[in-house]
Amino acid sequence: MEKYWNKEIECMSREDMKKLQDERLVAQVKHVYEHVPYYKKLMDEKGVTPEDIKSTDDLHKLPFLSKADLREAYPYGLLAKPLSECVRIHSTSGTTGKRVVAFYTQNDVDMWDDCVARAITAAGGTKDDVCQIAYGFGLFTGGAGLNGGSHKVGCLTLPMSSGSTNRQIQFMQDLHSTILCCTPSYAAYIGETVAELGLTPDDLDLKAGIFGAEPWTEEMRHSIEQSLGIKAYDIYGLTESSGPGVAFECSEQSGMHINEDNFIAEIINPETGEVLPDGEVGELVFTSITKEAFPLLRYRTRDLCVLSRKKCSCGRTLVKMSKPMGRSDDMMIIRGVNVFPSQIETVLIAEGYSPNYQIEVDRVNNSDTLDINVELNPDQFSDKVKDIQNRERALSASIKAMLGINPKVHLLPPKSITRSEGKAVRVIDKRKLHD
Amino acid sequence: MANVRQISVFIENKINSLGTVLGILKKNGINLRAMSIADTRDFGILRLIVNDTDKACEVLAQSEYALNVSDVVAVTIPDKTGALSYVLDILGANGVNVEYLYVFMSGQAQVSIVIRVDDNEKANKALKSGGVVQLTENDIAAM
Repeated sequence: MEKYWNKEIECMSREDMKKLQDERLVAQVKHVYEHVPYYKKLMDEKGVTPEDIKSTDDLHKLPFLSKADLREAYPYGLLAKPLSECVRIHSTSGTTGKRVVAFYTQNDVDMWDDCVARAITAAGGTKDDVCQIAYGFGLFTGGAGLNGGSHKVGCLTLPMSSGSTNRQIQFMQDLHSTILCCTPSYAAYIGETVAELGLTPDDLDLKAGIFGAEPWTEEMRHSIEQSLGIKAYDIYGLTESSGPGVAFECSEQSGMHINEDNFIAEIINPETGEVLPDGEVGELVFTSITKEAFPLLRYRTRDLCVLSRKKCSCGRTLVKMSKPMGRSDDMMIIRGVNVFPSQIETVLIAEGYSPNYQIEVDRVNNSDTLDINVELNPDQFSDKVKDIQNRERALSASIKAMLGINPKVHLLPPKSITRSEGKAVRVIDKRKLHD
Repeated sequence: MANVRQISVFIENKINSLGTVLGILKKNGINLRAMSIADTRDFGILRLIVNDTDKACEVLAQSEYALNVSDVVAVTIPDKTGALSYVLDILGANGVNVEYLYVFMSGQAQVSIVIRVDDNEKANKALKSGGVVQLTENDIAAM
């Protein structure tokens, strides 16, 4: 029996959802035009007024917002409510440049908690669960978001933050955690540590995991599910749209349902800005129609994915987004070829290597170089240099087949690549391509 | 003919990598009998023969090193010109491939050598018929 946190919304008919979105969009555009001079200016420049927006069909008329706008408007330029009504800020983890500050009223926090509660419920969570949150707490939305949702559902919440892995596992056993929430790379690390401590999944009471904040492949999901004995669910969000909980995976585990009563999703061609139909890969754009303090309209996420409105076996009618296939800004161009780190991860896991890797890109004598450092599993070790060299060559060939360019693979001893407790640093680009 | 167990340790090509491993052995009272390193740009394979193989494996594994234990051949030959050639000729004549070898323990007009071959049984038979003195793990520990 599928459980929903908010069945009325999650299983709403498409017609009713459109009506709801239309109403909310019209009100939100008026609210933003009136209170956010920065966005009003963008609308004026494009020759669009709030009266031109009568429904979601008119969404394409509105100007986009990008990360650059948010940095330019730092800190109060996109605020739509007086500070006295704001109760919180969160800030991005700054993986690409300067930080961004997002504001929340109490209503915004409540709405966000509600979204996360839907995610936890979809993963099978109820008030009888013990929810261990190993996302970072603080300015990062990961810890705060799952914490709020967990409280809303009524789980016993363990606000562990990340780190102190031995203590995480100790509490997991002593307090019988049933749900784990953290980044996928940290979940993989916890899984490794569990094995090193001589424990098996049978020694834990975990049944589900909710992982996000960074891209992760199907192979990685499978690996985590094995090492912890759980069903691993994806969750998606960005600080600019509250945080995790914008979209969440259901029991089908094939794409994430977007909470589109709060966030309208579009897919656009990242070069032209043209809106693309369902099924086509493009950049995900969100319009927040219920947020009060920091409501972004047509915010470009730079995440590439596909939308689908096909029937889902879980019964939810909310539009689904695929796992992000890469970011339009993390995509690297090496020797003229588009390369996504996730492609490399797929090959590594398929060939039985640990997904702990780092890519180093450099430019030597005007030619791009691609070096991939991969950790060898202890059982792959041999006493002969040629065996290891053969492995390096074979792996290099597999990656070349996937990417179209030839990398240099370096196999390294276990633990020689620093582990991450938050978002893993997979790419070190030493080329000076921009300022 | 019981072969000798050699421990190979995967180490990074970084400052003090080797020292750290030896420190662990020292701390646990393990005595080295033979040692060699194969080095490449990125890593080294440290090959060790110690006086307590099981304990060495245990303590190194605890420190999260990737280990491999392989059976190797060990011989003692007279410290004379041509002595090593003799051994290699026997192996070659019997179709045994040598992967690598290294010398340890010289003294008293004798030299001992570790030889990693592709077929230990064939090598044992060939060397025995050639009258070459082969060592066991216990022999080496006692040396």
